[in-house]
Amino acid sequence: MIAKYEGQKISVYFYTFAVLLFLVQVIVGIIAAGQFLEPDFFFLNFNTIRTLHINAMVVWLLCGLMGATYYVVTDESQTELWNVGLAKFQFWATVITILLVVIGYIWMGLNPSANKEIAGTLLLNEGREYIEAPRWADVLIAISVILFLLNSFMTVQKTKHWTGIQGTLIGGLTFLALMYIPGMFYTKSMVKDQFWWWWVIHLWVEGAWEVIAGALLAYMLIKTVGAKREVVEKWMYIEVGLVLFTGILGTGHHYYWIGTPSYWLWIGGIFSALEPVPLLLMVWDAFRTTREHREVANRAGLFFTVSHALLNFLGAGLWGVFHTLPQVNKWTHGTQITTSHGHLAFYGAYVLLVLAMIYVTLPSIRGVKEFNYSRAIQSFWWMTISMILIVLTITGAGMVQTYMERIIGLDYISVKAEYNYWFWIWRIIFGFGFLIGTIIFIYDFFTLGKEKDVVIKAETTNA
Amino acid sequence: MSTRGAKLLFIYGSLLFFIIFIGLTFDTMKKIDERTPPITHKIEAGKKVWHKYDCIGCHTILGNGSYFAPDMTKVVERKPKDYLKKFIMDPKSVKSNASMPNLGISSEEADNLIALLDWISKVDTNGWPPKPLLASVVGAGIKTLTEGQKVFQSQGCINCHIINGIGGTSGPDLTKIGTKRDKNWLYEFIKNPQSKNPNSAMPSFDHLKDEELNQLVEYLSSLK
Repeated sequence: MIAKYEGQKISVYFYTFAVLLFLVQVIVGIIAAGQFLEPDFFFLNFNTIRTLHINAMVVWLLCGLMGATYYVVTDESQTELWNVGLAKFQFWATVITILLVVIGYIWMGLNPSANKEIAGTLLLNEGREYIEAPRWADVLIAISVILFLLNSFMTVQKTKHWTGIQGTLIGGLTFLALMYIPGMFYTKSMVKDQFWWWWVIHLWVEGAWEVIAGALLAYMLIKTVGAKREVVEKWMYIEVGLVLFTGILGTGHHYYWIGTPSYWLWIGGIFSALEPVPLLLMVWDAFRTTREHREVANRAGLFFTVSHALLNFLGAGLWGVFHTLPQVNKWTHGTQITTSHGHLAFYGAYVLLVLAMIYVTLPSIRGVKEFNYSRAIQSFWWMTISMILIVLTITGAGMVQTYMERIIGLDYISVKAEYNYWFWIWRIIFGFGFLIGTIIFIYDFFTLGKEKDVVIKAETTNA
Repeated sequence: MSTRGAKLLFIYGSLLFFIIFIGLTFDTMKKIDERTPPITHKIEAGKKVWHKYDCIGCHTILGNGSYFAPDMTKVVERKPKDYLKKFIMDPKSVKSNASMPNLGISSEEADNLIALLDWISKVDTNGWPPKPLLASVVGAGIKTLTEGQKVFQSQGCINCHIINGIGGTSGPDLTKIGTKRDKNWLYEFIKNPQSKNPNSAMPSFDHLKDEELNQLVEYLSSLK
């Protein structure tokens, strides 16, 4: 049994690279957690490890989304990918670029002075959180994304069957690509630098990525329970509309304290407090649709889809809104409270989204109709319980930090080294729990559909 | 609402909010220049040093970045610049248990970086970071400070030294300093720290009047 279209096999290339980087992200995350106790125990410093941790995440999520998109456009348009060769080229070009960037980070980690300025840009690391990749890599990444968008767009254009899901998905991806540009502006002012930097980071994670999540949620509900397209697409438009209505001006919650005018306290406060609304709507949408449809085509896929919606709301919504109002944020800004929000939000909103898409699409790519999904559920619980415990330890550390440092006035180092010591230890232990979940998932990813005794092959070929 | 209606609302609503956002961005760009001091070549060079060594990989600045090491927004208000320079260039020689590695930052780079940190401390941040509540309340609640305590406070000694759990960790804990050093040693050290310890990163306090120095020494030797 083979996938219906060659282009859908390309999805597996992207998924494979994504899950391997996921493993890298988790392992370096545990190392970073260990460095909170012993900064010098590893041969690379914390900044290099953290850069690898967050960059591996951004790249694997993007690769996962690219893989998912190649599947969705061919499936929705019922046609072969516009240019399969181009997609393969784009995949390998992306892999090589990313590996070069990683080598650069490690080189700089071993020899910080090697990060020289060449033609006005830094050779190995731009020194800007999340978008550390140097300018030459930015250009290569941009070319890769343009080729990917072109391929996806032209695929839909072949049949001109523009479904709402495809339009929203490609629209969200184009918005994502455009929002990479403000990250390349050079400015002498650190304040302006941070202003534009938030255009990239915020308008990605609380804008473009959530639009993509909305489109993929609709797609997954159709695929897993056979939801009616007219209904899910209507709710999708309402959800992603509300995401952008609240999220665009919600950027203001990053402009409270960085030297920007005080009107952002009002704008950011009001709009970011509303940001959880569309995420709650997605939860309601997922539960309502699931309840209305008794026939479940893919239980693992549905399980991850609904969990994604729920944890997206919990992590990106609730854990964000706790400290988004200026009166609270004044005390918590720049503390571990932000870290706790970051972890739960990325896990709920995007890690589970990509994993859900993998479980929704991989069985049909591998040509299986039903499969044993017990490992999927096991990995989910290992990862989710561990992540919630990690987030609780970081939230605890953040509360202690806010109280001891910001309210009482103790020194940052005293609080980190003495009062939060046990939180760091527990975080490492739970980190290993997460690693177990990740390994179970990766094992499942590589074996799904290949174990003859536990899969039931689809009865008809689609070739 | 029909699907088409929802779609149009999504497209035009999002465009409207984005246009408002762009308008606010233009206004903010103009206002940032009024809220920040002018940028010299040295400050710009300092910003490049900040990026070159990926300082944000451990520190936050304006509260954004990594949460592994202290925020740098107001660091020049808390630490003497000479201390900062020595620390930036070789952290462990100043403080043996420092987490920060030696990054090979040159003297010129360190000066530029400190110029940037000085600039950032003067940015109008709408009152962030807030002054710790309890420290201000306790400060106001103390009825009478001894003359030595007043000197300790006015010179900002607490920014680097801990007394009874409160204070910075750059220098040694002074909670029981009276049991460890005599008055003579303290007097000499404060006047010229390098005369007693050539590696010390503490600045000299020889600008203090003799009377103030004696009051400070008196206070420190009472800490037992």
